Amino acid sequence: MSVLDHLPVLPIIVPLAAATVMLLLSESRRGLRTSIALGSLLVQLAVALTLLYQTTDAAAHIWDDGIGVYPIGGWPAPFGIVLVVDRLSAMMLSLVAIVSLSVLVYSLAHWDKPGQPFHSLFQLLVMGQNGAFLTGDLFSLFVFFEILLAASYGLVLRGTGMGRVRTGLHYIAVNLAASFLFLIGVALMYGTVGTLNMADLLGRVAALEPDERALFDAGAWILGIAFLVKAGSWPLNSWLPGAYAVSMAPIAAGFAIMTKVGVYAVLRIGTLMSEDEAAATILGSILYYTGLVTLVSGSIGMLATQHLKRLVAYSVIVSSGLMLASLGLGVESVTAPVLFYLVTSVLTTAAFFLLTGMTDRTRLQAPVTDHIETDREMMPDYMAFGIRAPDPYGTEEEVGAAIPAAMAFLGLMFVCCVLLVTGLPPLPGFVAKFTLLSVVLETTPTVGARNAGWVLAVAVLATGLVGIIALTRIGMRLFWSSTERRTPRLHVTEAAPVAFLVLVCLVLAAASAPVMRFLEATANSLHDPDTYITTVLSSIPDTHGDAESSSGDLGGGAP
Amino acid sequence: MLLTLIAALPFVGSIAAAFLPAGARNAAAWLAGVVAVACLALVALLYPGVQAGGVETFRFEWLPQFGLDLYFRMDGFAWLFALLVSLMGALVVLYARYYMSPEDPVPRFFAFLLAFMGAMLGVVLSGNLIQIVVFWELTSFTSFMLIAYWYHLPDARRAARMSVTVTVAGGLCLLMGVLMIGEIVGSYDLDDVLVAGDVLRAHPWYGALLILIALGVLTKSAQFPFHFWLPQAMTAPTPVSAYLHSATMVKAGVFLLARLWPALAGTNLWFWIIASAGAASLLVGAFSATFQRDTKGVLAYSTISHLGLITMLLGMNSELALVAAVFHMMNHATFKASLFMAAGIVQHETGTRDMKRLGGLARSMPITAAVATVAAAAMAGVPLLNGFLSKEMFFAEAIVVGRSLGMSITLPTIALLAGVFSVAYSLRFVHQVFFTEPSHDLPKPGHEPTRGMIVPGALLVVACLLVGVLPAVTVGPVLETAMMSILGPELPEYRLAIWHGFTLPLVMSFIALAGGITFYVLLLARGAVMSPTPILSRLNAARMFDVANVVVVRGAAKLSHLFFTRRLQSQLLAIVGIALVAGVAAFGSTGWSAGENPLTPIDPLFTLLWVVGAACAVGAAQQAKFHRLAALIMLGGAGLVTCLTFAWFSAPDLALTQIAVEVVTVVLLLLGLRWLPRRIAFDDPRRKTPRARGRRARDFLLAVAAGCGTAALAFAVLTRPQVSDLPGYFLRNSLEVAGGRNVVNVILVDFRSFDTLGEITVVAIVALIVYALLRRFRPAPESIDVPKAQRADPAPLTTAVDAPLPRGYMRLPAVLVRLIGPMAGLVSVYFLLRGHQAPGGGFVGGLVMASAVIVQYMVGGTMWVESRLRIHPQVWIALGMIGAGTAGIAAWFAGKPFLSALAADLHLPLIGDVHLSTVLLFDLGVYMLVIGAVVLMLVALAHQSLRSPRRVPVEPSRESAEETDEAEAVV
Repeated sequence: MSVLDHLPVLPIIVPLAAATVMLLLSESRRGLRTSIALGSLLVQLAVALTLLYQTTDAAAHIWDDGIGVYPIGGWPAPFGIVLVVDRLSAMMLSLVAIVSLSVLVYSLAHWDKPGQPFHSLFQLLVMGQNGAFLTGDLFSLFVFFEILLAASYGLVLRGTGMGRVRTGLHYIAVNLAASFLFLIGVALMYGTVGTLNMADLLGRVAALEPDERALFDAGAWILGIAFLVKAGSWPLNSWLPGAYAVSMAPIAAGFAIMTKVGVYAVLRIGTLMSEDEAAATILGSILYYTGLVTLVSGSIGMLATQHLKRLVAYSVIVSSGLMLASLGLGVESVTAPVLFYLVTSVLTTAAFFLLTGMTDRTRLQAPVTDHIETDREMMPDYMAFGIRAPDPYGTEEEVGAAIPAAMAFLGLMFVCCVLLVTGLPPLPGFVAKFTLLSVVLETTPTVGARNAGWVLAVAVLATGLVGIIALTRIGMRLFWSSTERRTPRLHVTEAAPVAFLVLVCLVLAAASAPVMRFLEATANSLHDPDTYITTVLSSIPDTHGDAESSSGDLGGGAP
Repeated sequence: MLLTLIAALPFVGSIAAAFLPAGARNAAAWLAGVVAVACLALVALLYPGVQAGGVETFRFEWLPQFGLDLYFRMDGFAWLFALLVSLMGALVVLYARYYMSPEDPVPRFFAFLLAFMGAMLGVVLSGNLIQIVVFWELTSFTSFMLIAYWYHLPDARRAARMSVTVTVAGGLCLLMGVLMIGEIVGSYDLDDVLVAGDVLRAHPWYGALLILIALGVLTKSAQFPFHFWLPQAMTAPTPVSAYLHSATMVKAGVFLLARLWPALAGTNLWFWIIASAGAASLLVGAFSATFQRDTKGVLAYSTISHLGLITMLLGMNSELALVAAVFHMMNHATFKASLFMAAGIVQHETGTRDMKRLGGLARSMPITAAVATVAAAAMAGVPLLNGFLSKEMFFAEAIVVGRSLGMSITLPTIALLAGVFSVAYSLRFVHQVFFTEPSHDLPKPGHEPTRGMIVPGALLVVACLLVGVLPAVTVGPVLETAMMSILGPELPEYRLAIWHGFTLPLVMSFIALAGGITFYVLLLARGAVMSPTPILSRLNAARMFDVANVVVVRGAAKLSHLFFTRRLQSQLLAIVGIALVAGVAAFGSTGWSAGENPLTPIDPLFTLLWVVGAACAVGAAQQAKFHRLAALIMLGGAGLVTCLTFAWFSAPDLALTQIAVEVVTVVLLLLGLRWLPRRIAFDDPRRKTPRARGRRARDFLLAVAAGCGTAALAFAVLTRPQVSDLPGYFLRNSLEVAGGRNVVNVILVDFRSFDTLGEITVVAIVALIVYALLRRFRPAPESIDVPKAQRADPAPLTTAVDAPLPRGYMRLPAVLVRLIGPMAGLVSVYFLLRGHQAPGGGFVGGLVMASAVIVQYMVGGTMWVESRLRIHPQVWIALGMIGAGTAGIAAWFAGKPFLSALAADLHLPLIGDVHLSTVLLFDLGVYMLVIGAVVLMLVALAHQSLRSPRRVPVEPSRESAEETDEAEAVV
């Protein structure tokens, strides 16, 4: 295998290695720690973009049909764990890398103060996300969910304050419950079809007897509930606004992709199993209705809240609802616009959360919860026992120059974020909503329940209006109430990532034609899983050679 | 190409202006002026191309899959509007240069003004309906920023919000309507849509799309019943009112109506929606304008009225009416902009817009008075001015169009009534400001403004005159070009002239003039000139908007409490309940059935074991809140039963691991118990309320149901035959290929080592988090004191750091534990090494070693252990990770995928055959990581008791602050 063949596993190994090395560094080695973290994400970005290129038609010679399979440990597909890079996963990897890099640079301003292993946890969060998008195995998906959730537990609880701890523990409890459901679901599915490989599932499901099928469905549904919890679908999403609102800005931004992991799972496994007509219809209508309620509930939350970060969190719920409801229409052509929406929504949410970190500082008194306590009194104890103590000194220097006209910059970015969130032109939020609506209208006559498309279209537009109403209210208070505000000092490292994310959005809008073509190809391969299935199941040479075929049944023997 | 330049230039200028320093007044004005004049020149240059029905186009592919292109298209009508926008732009820039105060940050103003100009040019030059919507929303946004230019004024902020809410809502409706058009026609290109009128009108969606487009158009053009935002928007600087809110942006609505006229007009529905909205606005606007005290208020309502007139004309389904509408769009822009400029001058020079205070300014400001008077006369429809011509055409159409008897009476009546009011308010405006007795309580004495402020208005008035006197020469060709681009080469018969003979419309014009004058004189005589608008003034739009705002926010807050719970219990209830429903629903069609595998006979001993285990589990759940120690012990009991079950069913690996895990978990939890806050008493009165009882009963039932459901599922799966190929494959290849006799371990470290790598990562993360959390942990005040048991005991429990052994009754355990230490280490290494072949493995080994360390801490005391034994848990974790990772990466050098096992059989002297494999390194990594993680948690817990108790000041709860924040509706 050449170096390039190992690319698919790098998005998992690189952050893991970076996190490990950072554990060995004392907390005073801030520069080295920073460069390791940055280096790791730059490598991941390069790898993700290379993988993305390899899945495009331009690189058809590298992988057949743009699907790359990497057998961990060399064990062939249904038996070992495989990583599968297709367009969807490559896209998600790139998104993770872009968002994480921005978040990391942002956090260097002062958010990564020692006190907690921020950088290690952040790398592990990224590792979990990457792994979840790469793996082609259900249990391995569970493991990566656990990694990203475990890391997120630590990150949510960063900082102090009763509210943060309470909401953080709430978040942990809910996600542990969801993980438990995940495990039950996977166990039932494995018990009935005897495989954990996603590609292998389909053929086996079709061959099940009705009673076994019911058992399998029970597992699949329970698994689906777990995914819906992660996707932030109503009524399983009460944890979400609080968890995002209490997290510090860069951390909330780093979580921008988390609800999308749930949507990704629904998309990936849902399309793999939607061959069965009846099941697909039921799944569709459930997704549609829960999505719609989610969207409405998120909009109401947006209207109700006076707190910008919480509002952005509600907008995450709205975007989840929108995607779920659209996917629930059961129209294949809707997938590409939904993916476009997903991409812009992730970038937007991340940029917006980062922005809230800066706008919070325009308050005369910075909120108490954003201070990280560095605990000096404990230092002696810990030095003695091999645990590197926090270094409360030498971290206060301001990095970079404060930007002049900080308010103007914040205002501009705020406006961009508002336009992106509400889907108003000319930013790509509009392109996403426009393409979505256009497809929905095109297919209205064919959609099962005829009114479903109309209702969705109205809901999509109405959420835009709600967003405008809620955000102008908050924006005016932030930027235009002359009292009780001050111009914050911004660091270049904080401002640049926000601008970068918005810029990526602009590029997406400008290049929407090629992007959309890629997403259409992505959607097609999702809806035609045969290629995926055959590629995953057949492409790996069994490097070990099954004992049965290579040397006869000599050893351990049959059960 | 020139076309794109016209639309792009203002945006470039806008960005450039945004970067100017706040005081760069002249630079910004010059920049804006040059851009506007350049646009004007470019537009003028393109005239030959659009003459005689020609169309200039420029297309740039954007998202062709969805029919969305950047498509600029200029025909005669678009040219006319482009000319209007850029010409007005140039004049307004000149005016604004002198109007804006030197203290104002003018670059921001010009930046948004230019952006608006670009957006407006974009609207008129777009050849693609979606692109129109894009620019349309941009005009809403720039209008918002310009209305709120003086954002320190609360009125300006509210007006801006109101306008953006209304126009964006309309814009979204328009988007929907346009999408429907695109869906029906199959293209968003104006060329295709305009010729598809018959298809559109016959389509079942026609009604819906017409309503949606009407909503978009009527909100933008401030038509009844969405007109209320426009008078509020008068808080904007006057150049903005002149430019956006009279001449251009509010025209976007009627522009689009005229643009889509060939495609959508011609039905009764069109007539009813468009013409009636127009008529209502015409009357309401004209009536309200007559009673405003604010000069700009008069102009705003009169704008609503005149736009109503245009809308009504467009709704009449007559080609001649269309011509009149387009003609009036131009005329209205010229006279209204110059009136706004005059009103602005008056305010600028006297400091007020209140007509009650103003008066007699004709003496001090003769030129301004002259300009305003002529413009007002045009607005009133006085002959020899442009307003007269289009108004006469309107009267003519009002007479002709009515098909039924009712209509042929109603329409002329409405027209005449509006004409009367329009004369009255024009007269009142001029009279009250300029020709009454000179006022003496003005904030500033009025005098003529600088030339720069008066010139733009004067030029516009000259245009009014020229058009009014020589219509056929001045606007004739341009109007014809514009009309040909809408209606095609076959234009209806119309004649632009002052004198059409002594006709009914002429009579109506004179009746209106006479009636208007009479009405005003009557008002004067009754002293009611400054009375508030009868009836309509009770509807205070600003107040209603505020109330609506509060209602929406309060309502949303209430609803959001319904949708989102802040209680963990309710959230978990939803999750478990829904999972239960999902699990049960899956069996809806087939029903649940057990498999056919024969059941093993029931063993009484095993049954007893499970009864005990189940009792422990239930007891633990029941006691968790009230007696934590008891709950923990019962939890341990349940775990022990699980271990025994594994052993019973011949799963030694599982049993071994489970027991080690149980021991470590229970002990660590025990160590943590001491720091938990005071428990709830079992007989707490809060638990006795019926509500609490009901909740407990509900939760209990749900728990039982979910538990039974899970058991049923497990039973159904376990009683079915094994279907998987995996166990067979693993068993076949475990020894043969992977070189291990212990299949469980081979699965963990080879077949599915990736999962193991992930799981140890989770263990590491959790340990790091526990450590990080506990490092900042502040015990609850009630648990800071030394526990009762320790206080009662005279002998110190912990060993002095320098003492070899503790005194008192801890001496014996201390000796034992120290002896156990090395033994445990040996056992753990033994488990690690033999794992591949026999029960054991890195995980169990690590846990055994960690337990040994825990015991040392417990018996020796933290200080004693740490003065002798240095464990660096984070380093162990890192080294473990490195070990496991290296084992994985090593495969790369053999050209194999990550985590492929590499093995070598060596023959060493004395020791014999040794099977060395990278999986051992992997397992070693697991071993070290587990030790590191457990010890890290242990250290974090152990150090709690060493810390000096510190009371933290109670910090204000942010959560509660937020809640009140949310409950309060902020206006």
